[in-house]
Amino acid sequence: MYGWHGRLLRVDLTHQKVSIETIDPKLLKDYIGGRGLAIRYLYDEVDPQVEPLSPENKLIFTTGPLTATTAPTGNRYMVVTKSPLTGALAHSNSGGDFPTWMKRSGFDMYIFEGRAERPVYVWVNEDAVEIRPADHLWGKEVPETTETLLAETHPEAKVACIGPAGEKLALMAAIMNDKHRAAARSGVGAVMGSKNLKAVVAMGRKNPAFYDDAGMRALSVELSKEVGVDVKKGSNLRIYGTAYVPQVTNALGILPTRNFQSGVFEGVDKIDGVALKNTYLITHKPCYRCPISCGRLTEVPEGKYAGKGEGPEYETIASLGSACGLDDLAGLLKANYRCNELGLDTISTGLTISAAMEMYEKGILTDEQTGMPLRFGDADAVIEMVNRIGYRQGFGDVLAEGSYRLAERYDHPEMSITARKQEFPGYDPRGSQGMGLLYATSNKGASHMEGDVAYEEVFGVPVKSDPLSTEGKAELVARFQDAFALIDSGGICVFFAIRYVFTKERMVWPVRLTQLLNLTTGANYTPEEAMQAAERVYTLERLFLLKAGSGPEQDTLSPRLLTEPLPEGPAKGRVVELDKMLPEYYAYRNWPGGIPAPEKLVALGL
Amino acid sequence: MRVRVKLIANYMKLLPPGTKGNTVELEVAAGATIGAVLMPLGVPLDDSTVLLLNGYQAEADALLSEGDVITAFSAIAGG
Repeated sequence: MYGWHGRLLRVDLTHQKVSIETIDPKLLKDYIGGRGLAIRYLYDEVDPQVEPLSPENKLIFTTGPLTATTAPTGNRYMVVTKSPLTGALAHSNSGGDFPTWMKRSGFDMYIFEGRAERPVYVWVNEDAVEIRPADHLWGKEVPETTETLLAETHPEAKVACIGPAGEKLALMAAIMNDKHRAAARSGVGAVMGSKNLKAVVAMGRKNPAFYDDAGMRALSVELSKEVGVDVKKGSNLRIYGTAYVPQVTNALGILPTRNFQSGVFEGVDKIDGVALKNTYLITHKPCYRCPISCGRLTEVPEGKYAGKGEGPEYETIASLGSACGLDDLAGLLKANYRCNELGLDTISTGLTISAAMEMYEKGILTDEQTGMPLRFGDADAVIEMVNRIGYRQGFGDVLAEGSYRLAERYDHPEMSITARKQEFPGYDPRGSQGMGLLYATSNKGASHMEGDVAYEEVFGVPVKSDPLSTEGKAELVARFQDAFALIDSGGICVFFAIRYVFTKERMVWPVRLTQLLNLTTGANYTPEEAMQAAERVYTLERLFLLKAGSGPEQDTLSPRLLTEPLPEGPAKGRVVELDKMLPEYYAYRNWPGGIPAPEKLVALGL
Repeated sequence: MRVRVKLIANYMKLLPPGTKGNTVELEVAAGATIGAVLMPLGVPLDDSTVLLLNGYQAEADALLSEGDVITAFSAIAGG
């Protein structure tokens, strides 16, 4: 077999049993790998109605055929499970080094099932797989856990682990790898914690051969050069990382500000990529062998916010920063570092704190309930709430359930900025209509990583699209969703792949991506077949949602976005016109009433 | 008439020397277009740039009025 190992590792935590299984080659071709292969297994093996934090749920780590290859950015893995935050599907993506090391351990997927009686970690060194006690690690934060495990296993191994937040089942708990990288969203860390699985450590030297070794290497060099030309010209991702984006979204009036009460933040100059570069940036830090290198290593050298780590990404600036009214960059960095150390998703954490701040300022929450004043712009309050969420102490125990449950509890649902109970990323959809449709229909709840049409509406890639218009957005969102399913199943990074997925006519036409997949696997996909596989993946995920009870009635947004117009900026007066776009979306997908039509399922082989 | 020009991130280097931050106020001829203002600064006016006029997407041939804000940034991204 080429490209894929055709093998998965199954770890039964309840019975402390490890088994190795072969994967049907037809499944590999039909679902590509990564996110696609994982949903096929999850759908077949887990009752969609399962309680997400019960032993009956399964936690899948998965790589794609392009992971650990010479393909530029071929270094992503995904965590797929049923989400305790949304009750729908989780598929959280991460880079760093771990994904390549996992693939080199000789497996396409790890499936963790059941629940260990005591805390454990799993050490995968090719076929030598051990389930080891982790009592000594329980309660430890991510950096110490990682260091300890490297000392106990192998200094060249790579670690994915949870922090206290995952152990304590915070619904926004992440799985952290290589200390600073996160499969962040939808509470995947809580599922890992519920299984008493503290960490997974991987290494190995097994890698599948390429179907066409010379061809793969030549195409990889060519594509790396193309990316390299832009990097040399001075691309924003290399110079500033994603941290340059707040200036763009602020200019459009869609930078989340004070819990989405505005889209214009007066303090943006103090927390953007330029400010970061002039102050705390040490250097850029790539995922393994990435030619783009958008990651940032930063340090606040002294004072009460002293710390060091990676970030902040744009999403963190928008959630822990402007959404919390915070213009103190050092404080923002500290909040970011603490999220990473505790193992928390910065988006959901930031927007849960911002919801609490709005409720506090409006007198809905009192000092007695919160334990301390929670005012917008107070960095100390943000950091303290991050700590309390991570350890579920005091009011943090309430916040650890996310903003949806917080707002319901105090009878102000409009203050939770969520879709399918998951907090929004950093694009206010009232000024970015396609993003509104995307959030409402995404299989994983509000997310930019499931079809980021901000590429068109905000960044002009592959072509500009008016962010205030609803016209054509149904088709655009559906195409982007399928394209992202292809990218995620392949195991590469969207920052690279987005260049090669769309034509200027906006058609999804993944010629280069298909070539990479074919040279790697020999699967001989046509671009049409690759896109059909992607649509198959997306549709099977939808079927999982329908069975989980997260169907068409959940294809909506929090009331604020539908009824409260933005008060200022270019999108002033706008709400999300979901009622216009949603029927068009169902029609484009052939999902009458939000349910895939039988003939659609037949056409996709489902 | 006077307009403000905001060049974001890697385009900041195209601002006139001595500009503080990412925004400069310029005196331009009445009836000037976005392109006429940005071209002398060296801002690419092809599809590698996204242009905004007062926060709305605009083309290089858009006519300017007193007090307008032009924003330009490179059309590749992520976040």
